[in-house]
Amino acid sequence: MNLTLSLTHWLLVLTMPVALVGVINRTKSWWVGRKGPRLMQSAYDLVRLLGKRPVLSHTASPLFRAGAYVVLVCGVLAASMSPILGRYAPLQFDHDFIVVAYTLGFARIALMLCAMDVGSSFEGMGAAREASFSAYAEPALFLLIGSACAATGMTSFAALIGALHDTPHYALIVAPLTVALLILLQAEAARVPVDDPLTHLELTMIHEVMILDHSGPELAAMQFSAALKMSLYAGLIAALINPFSPTDDPLACALASLGLMLAVALVVGCIESLSARLPMRWVTRYLSIASAAALFAMVVIGLGGSGL
Amino acid sequence: MNQLILAVLVLTLGAGFCLLNTSNKIRAGFGLASQAIATALVWSAVIPVLMGGPDVTGGMPWAYPIGGIHFRLDALGAFFLSWSLPMTLLGSVYAVGYLHKYFAGPRHLGVHFALLNMISLSFLLVYTGEEVVTFLFGWELAALAAWQLVIWDYTNQKVRFAGFNYLVSTHVGLIFLIAAVMILYTHSQSWYLKDLGGWMSQHPGTLRNVVFLLLVTSFGLKSAFFPFHSWLPRAHAAAPAHVSALMSGVIHKAGLYALLRFLLLSGKPDEWMGWFLIAFSVTSAVVGGLYTVGQRDLKRLLGYSSTENVGIAGIGFGVGCLGLAWDNSALVALGFGGGLLHVLNHAFFKCQLFYAAGSVYQIKHVIDMERLGGLIKLMPGTATCFIIGGVAISALPPFNGFASEFMIYSGLFSGEHLGIWATLTLALVAAALAFVGAVSALSITRAFGVIFMGNPRDDTLPEAHEASRWMLVPMLVHTLGTVLLGVVPVLGLTLVAEPARLFMQAIPEVITDQTLGAIFATLSRIGAISGALIAAIVAVLWLRSRLWPQAPLRSATWGCGYDAANSRMQYTGASFSTDFAENFKSVMVMVKRQKAPAGYFPSESYVITDCVDAVERRLYTVIDHGHETAVELSAKMREDDPRLAFSAALAAIVIIAALVVLAEGALP
Repeated sequence: MNLTLSLTHWLLVLTMPVALVGVINRTKSWWVGRKGPRLMQSAYDLVRLLGKRPVLSHTASPLFRAGAYVVLVCGVLAASMSPILGRYAPLQFDHDFIVVAYTLGFARIALMLCAMDVGSSFEGMGAAREASFSAYAEPALFLLIGSACAATGMTSFAALIGALHDTPHYALIVAPLTVALLILLQAEAARVPVDDPLTHLELTMIHEVMILDHSGPELAAMQFSAALKMSLYAGLIAALINPFSPTDDPLACALASLGLMLAVALVVGCIESLSARLPMRWVTRYLSIASAAALFAMVVIGLGGSGL
Repeated sequence: MNQLILAVLVLTLGAGFCLLNTSNKIRAGFGLASQAIATALVWSAVIPVLMGGPDVTGGMPWAYPIGGIHFRLDALGAFFLSWSLPMTLLGSVYAVGYLHKYFAGPRHLGVHFALLNMISLSFLLVYTGEEVVTFLFGWELAALAAWQLVIWDYTNQKVRFAGFNYLVSTHVGLIFLIAAVMILYTHSQSWYLKDLGGWMSQHPGTLRNVVFLLLVTSFGLKSAFFPFHSWLPRAHAAAPAHVSALMSGVIHKAGLYALLRFLLLSGKPDEWMGWFLIAFSVTSAVVGGLYTVGQRDLKRLLGYSSTENVGIAGIGFGVGCLGLAWDNSALVALGFGGGLLHVLNHAFFKCQLFYAAGSVYQIKHVIDMERLGGLIKLMPGTATCFIIGGVAISALPPFNGFASEFMIYSGLFSGEHLGIWATLTLALVAAALAFVGAVSALSITRAFGVIFMGNPRDDTLPEAHEASRWMLVPMLVHTLGTVLLGVVPVLGLTLVAEPARLFMQAIPEVITDQTLGAIFATLSRIGAISGALIAAIVAVLWLRSRLWPQAPLRSATWGCGYDAANSRMQYTGASFSTDFAENFKSVMVMVKRQKAPAGYFPSESYVITDCVDAVERRLYTVIDHGHETAVELSAKMREDDPRLAFSAALAAIVIIAALVVLAEGALP
């Protein structure tokens, strides 16, 4: 039973990064009236990159190449604790969400240091932006988890996400949390309106500019980790909404999770097609909406808990 | 207790030998040898206590008016002693490398090593003193010795000013402490700390609250909590690197020790004390963290990060206080245990970072990050130590900072039934802690990225090379500790378990073993995950080198079509932090001096951005105004003005009358 769930979890975790990127790109093409790339195009891209011989900057230190794999390993470790199926994660213990958040933090510092390592002013700029935006994203994530923790009294990530379904003001709590997670997804996975992955101007990039000097297998590792992080956030949104329990109804749960994650990708693609990237100085305000939404959920929980 | 008295003797004798009329090498040798012997002696006394053995007590007669000195080594003092002495020893080893060029010169180095011995001696007095006199004697010894150590480079006026600033601040703190002790003494009629605490535990009320606030202010000044930190960045920037390291990592933990000692002795605290401690600490952590972002002097940056880290430990202590107030043993264990573990971890990685900064300064003679760059290729050892310490100070896995912050977080998200608003407030505190973590990741990335990565920014500085062995070894020992306590945090927890047990004894009917056992299990899991993370990274890197053995091609950094880029065009520390600092203008005062290019053939132009301390600025402005007002007042009054004499006499009469009326009871 647990083995099946675990396999399903890993299957979703490893395929979704490719599929979600495919769906987002397809959605965007559909809005502008093109056919768009194949759904699995990013997988072909990754395979192609693996066969390339990397080109390294003269300035790069040994940390530069190691950094890409630190990011990859951290992403996979975080994935093992993220309950994308709801009340289940392969690795689950008390306060595991702190490990998830801080492992991703370690990945971020590795990414930023790789960017600083080549001595380029553009990449430094990307790192500075990533660092300052993460200072807004991180508290929002903890507010979100803290409110779920207070609502359910649970202390492991999977349990507190799963038990949210049984709380009295489910809809009032989950709606703001979903909004908060969606904003965090856009920030962490570098999507419009925070960052535009398709821009060709280095001055307006955040994530893309940090990996300008990566190539070959290292670039593949970086790109896969970025997509993996996006699918973790999409998976968390799916788990918040997913009405099925992974232990009672594994098949329905897995299918619902799959469908919901694809739906999130569709939403992300639509937002990306219909709106433009925000000016950089507005991004922090946009990220504050995530904190505000989580705070709203907290107030609901507080009022609900004190009997109002 | 014999070992402890012997250690005091050895340290004093060692300090004496340091002053002998021989060569500097022999003097330093005396210093190091006496420290090593004292460390071994102290360990032999401390380890049994930390393993759950009985307290060690002792005393010796002393001249009037002290009457006698009494020692008691319990688990709390033992925990602090267990790392304070060895780290001071490592600092002294580093000093040999750092002051290398003075060894052949005429300067008397023995004084420096004697002062380091005095620092160790003060730890023995503070952490084991059973009465106020011994405690205050050690307290003062540490302050004076640290001041003397800070002004090593006393010919420089800035250094003297920083030293004087420190001396004044630490004595302002002493005034608060003495005020608290005087209030306690008048009520308990005893110099013993346990009697003072005993009075506090039995007399909750206004007076106890006043004493609590006085104590927190005094210890806050010692440990550089915000807003009492303004002396710290100056002192840390001015002192030699090993002195900064010891002050930040070891000496100022005495403030936290004293806070814990009084909390432990005064029994069950009020609930507001816990919340107050948390609010005070969160402010400290957030503001300290924000200030690290703007600094261009690496040692100032590390100094502010001390304010941040004592704040983080303070959050843990606040949670522990709430646990005591609510009779919740899990919160007590997680709060005090997590806070203490963070104190230990901070000592490890903070010294390591200061040592790395010192190596850079010793070779480059500059610590301004805007002039450095690319050091990782020439100083790989120092750079590795710095980045490991940096990841640890940002509380990221797989190093030790993560383990202790994890414990504090688990106290904040305890899942215990605390009432919904209390739970939510603690979650807000956790969010603030997450913000602090992200901010310190920002400033460490900035510091490491600008100083060690990229290309050198200034060709006029001396060529970099690896630091000497005397400096590398202490750095590596600290790094090893940082990694080991990250992968096996249970080691640290073992040291912390007995002190945490002391706090839990205040709660009736608690099975301490069970609560602690759960924490041991959690932390060993965290350690396993950190270990697995390191192993997985190494495995992937190995696999990568096997699968793609081909050496990479080398080419220029992508320049977006511009191929005349030079090293001055790299992203600087100021440019890294400007966007972020812009959002916190109200807290961080960024000062910008610039000369824009003008005319058809612009010649000299520059922009200099620096972050100044808002508290310090405000302080001096206020003092300055006060000074002016006093001058104006005295100018208006003539000495023979009868109104002046009359009002002065009236004030004197009122004060004397108040003292007579308000004094309680007869003199002892």
